[in-house]
Amino acid sequence: MKTYTTLCPVFILVFASLFFVIPDARGDEKNARSLLVDIVNGDSVGQEAALEALADESDPVINAFYSAFRSGNIFLMSTADGQTQVLIKEVNDYSDLLTGEAVNPTGELSVARASRGLRRDLKRLVDLLDLNSPNRSKKIAAAEKLGLSQNADYLPELRKRLPQQTEKSVIKAFQEGIYITELKVGSLEEKMRAVKGLGKMKSLPAKGFLEALIEESAADEEANRKLMVEAKNALMMINSHQAIVEKVGTLFRGLSLGSVLLLVSYGLAITFGQMGVINMAHGEFIAIGGYTVYIIQNFFANQFGVGSTGYEWYFIISLPFAFLIAALAGAALERGLVQFLYSRPLESLLATWGVSMILQQIFRLQFGAANVSVSSPEWLSGSFSAGGVSMSYSRMFLIFFALFVVVLTYLLLNRTKWGLHVRATTLNRQMASNLGVPSARVNMLTFAFGSGLAGLAGAFISQIGNVGPSMGQTYIVDSFMVVVVGGVANLFGSAISSLGIGMIDQSLQPVLGPVMGKISVLFAIILFLQFRPGGLFPSRSRSLDD
Amino acid sequence: MKLFTIAASKMRSLVIGAACLAISGSVSFGEEDTVKVGVLHSLSGTMAISETSLRDVLLFTFDEINEAGGVLGKKIEPVVVDGASDWPLFAEKAEQLLVQDKTAVTFGCWTSVSRKSVLPVYEKYKGLLFYPVQYEGEEMSPNIFYTAEAVNQQAIPAVDYLLEEGYKKFYLIGTDYVYPQTTNLVLFEYLKSKGVPVESIGGGLREDAEGNVISAGNYTPFGHSDFQQIVAEIKAFSASGDACVINTINGDANVPFFKEFAASGLTSEDCPVVSFSLSEDEFRSLPAKDLIGHLGCWTYFMSIDTPANKKFIDGFQEWLSKTEVTGVVKDDRVTCSPMVLSYNGVYLWKAAVEKAESFDPEKVMAALKSGISFDGPGGTVTSQENHHLTKTVYIGETLETGQFSIIKSFDDVVGEPFLKGTFMPK
Repeated sequence: MKTYTTLCPVFILVFASLFFVIPDARGDEKNARSLLVDIVNGDSVGQEAALEALADESDPVINAFYSAFRSGNIFLMSTADGQTQVLIKEVNDYSDLLTGEAVNPTGELSVARASRGLRRDLKRLVDLLDLNSPNRSKKIAAAEKLGLSQNADYLPELRKRLPQQTEKSVIKAFQEGIYITELKVGSLEEKMRAVKGLGKMKSLPAKGFLEALIEESAADEEANRKLMVEAKNALMMINSHQAIVEKVGTLFRGLSLGSVLLLVSYGLAITFGQMGVINMAHGEFIAIGGYTVYIIQNFFANQFGVGSTGYEWYFIISLPFAFLIAALAGAALERGLVQFLYSRPLESLLATWGVSMILQQIFRLQFGAANVSVSSPEWLSGSFSAGGVSMSYSRMFLIFFALFVVVLTYLLLNRTKWGLHVRATTLNRQMASNLGVPSARVNMLTFAFGSGLAGLAGAFISQIGNVGPSMGQTYIVDSFMVVVVGGVANLFGSAISSLGIGMIDQSLQPVLGPVMGKISVLFAIILFLQFRPGGLFPSRSRSLDD
Repeated sequence: MKLFTIAASKMRSLVIGAACLAISGSVSFGEEDTVKVGVLHSLSGTMAISETSLRDVLLFTFDEINEAGGVLGKKIEPVVVDGASDWPLFAEKAEQLLVQDKTAVTFGCWTSVSRKSVLPVYEKYKGLLFYPVQYEGEEMSPNIFYTAEAVNQQAIPAVDYLLEEGYKKFYLIGTDYVYPQTTNLVLFEYLKSKGVPVESIGGGLREDAEGNVISAGNYTPFGHSDFQQIVAEIKAFSASGDACVINTINGDANVPFFKEFAASGLTSEDCPVVSFSLSEDEFRSLPAKDLIGHLGCWTYFMSIDTPANKKFIDGFQEWLSKTEVTGVVKDDRVTCSPMVLSYNGVYLWKAAVEKAESFDPEKVMAALKSGISFDGPGGTVTSQENHHLTKTVYIGETLETGQFSIIKSFDDVVGEPFLKGTFMPK
């Protein structure tokens, strides 16, 4: 446990510093605020004028307003003197949109809603404002997005700001945005330059536009012939680049799917592989982890309010709880049931299957038959894009955490006395016990540790998938598959097999589609086990010698 | 009780039968004064999440009608059986309802595969089934009445709306079974007929040996949990703007899909997703902030502001607070389109029985075909000759509360089941 406690804060620090962004305060805040009030109160003409005027402002209040407006947190309140006051709610506090002062709402509040069109315009505006953002990735995203809209209005904005940029990646994004827009609105000369430029920078987003350009130009010949040739050249360069990007993307996705498989199966690799217990309730321990996150999320939401800084921590806090609660449940199962069945593996299969059904029904009774909703904290939402490959933060976190779990387990099993005992018990329970290993305690702790890992896996799944009474059923088959393919009783084998299955699955998907991809993976595993029944790394253990 | 649902499902009808006997023995009205009505939904298994709500609303409707005097002077006596998300079992239960319990009518089924499995049973015994959930069409059994949304009452109006809003690229995605496959094929033809080029329809096409398109869109297995690849594809597809996603993913696979979608940085302003299998009921288990502004299209939304809807919601909530039926969740309940279509179905059946002055399924169906109107919570619905309904279609966008705000409605859309091959490309 020592490693865990020392490593955890490091993780938190690394991720916290990566993802929290400090907004900067610039521009005329007062002016921006009054324009925003116009947007809420005005008719469509007034709104349009206000939107236009807002484009010159760059106050962070606009961003805050946008996210509040789309999520129903802008309110109208009639004051005592018959005026309507516009309030903005952030986390739990209301403030006057016009003045920025905190308000304690007394009158009746009605939600002000933005129409779809208005929201799309506002989003464009926010993107435009992000061009001035101090955050590099926001800036890049904004430049790319404005370019993609091919709107001539944005061209001067992008051109104006291009010389001010210093970072290479930002300059590239601005240039790309300008080129793509020029493809549509530029003169023939500009188009020529844009096509060449885009080909050189191997711009993926430009692909669709270049294809459209080639198709359109086919009609009127001569003048465009040279442009067409260049466009086709550029397209070729982009296509070959895209092939590489897709491979890298598949690699990342395979790694992330592999990490999910690894997390869900690692606990099983310990209880099944090391201890020889066929634990059918493993999936329900995953669900325990998921529900723990759900409970702690709700607790934090009540305590601090959704979106507050305190709330943002709920996920980190819930990780040790998910581990502990699942571990406790595991210890209880081992003491109460499994310990009597060590010599009868088939009966342990049936008994734990029964426990699995009981646990599922307990979840149903306690939390309802429907799945519960867990939302990700802000710092785990969103994604990071590098050279055309987009990687979501939650998946990156997952990969790191899977690695952490593997290292932690390795250290525990190979560097601690308890680990020595576990390995001794794995080899021969009777003999270990005769030599003075407290095998009952070792068994309980090992089973609890494996179950705790399942709890951790559930906590992670809550960020990317479902939390519900039958969530465990989704993963139990995959878990056994990973462990058997990896070679029972070999933790390293489980790690390799989960990554391998993840990679193969993700590489087949683009070719065969998700359905055929999955079938092919299962078929390949059946074939593999025909030739290597012991899995990747067969090893002799008590459970196989029986 | 719930602990033993699966084992109990086989026994359930027996128990209910016994309970009914006990009731009819002790309560004043006897056998003569009741009419047996079947309820055939999954109360256990994967579909229980959705179908249990329909059982609840049906029992509420029966109580409401019984309080007002019943049908032709007879009280409705529900016979509830559990299909247990097991399609062959649906057929067995249907046979039991028709042969053993001799129910006058059945309200039931959710998935198309369950409907397909009971269809021959209803045709064999000349029964009558009301089917309440949006489906793919291409079917018109003489023994089934479809209160459900046909494709032209959901998918096509939604696409019309998106075209009107200026979206030019459409990505089709769904769960791999008959409803999404058929719907997407119809939509593919429809989009082409509206002049959308094939390159602008994403998700992939499959053609048979003669080059006819047999499948359009990207499909995932039931309960799929890894949408990384698909979302990456959507992101690339929507990069050039004006793109939207048409989503026929069923059940809880929507959660990982929307989580992945939001994590990739896409929002409803960049690329809206219009979903056909997500109603207010399903939204309870989805993270609301990831769904803001995405679209839904149904013939009823809980947010409809009419006296009829208010009466329905209030009545249902009151029934929930008083009911003693086991397994009814009482807190945080919402109403949604399949529930209202079940409710409408019962009232249409009642009106048809009264018009025919008989419980005989054949006569009731004839009365339904002659056109019967009912002012339901989602507006007036009228039964048609082709076993479907004329009704109002609403487009809504999701709010942070899990409710829809209605942004457009199409009045009196005639349900049309046979659409495949009817749209000619321009």
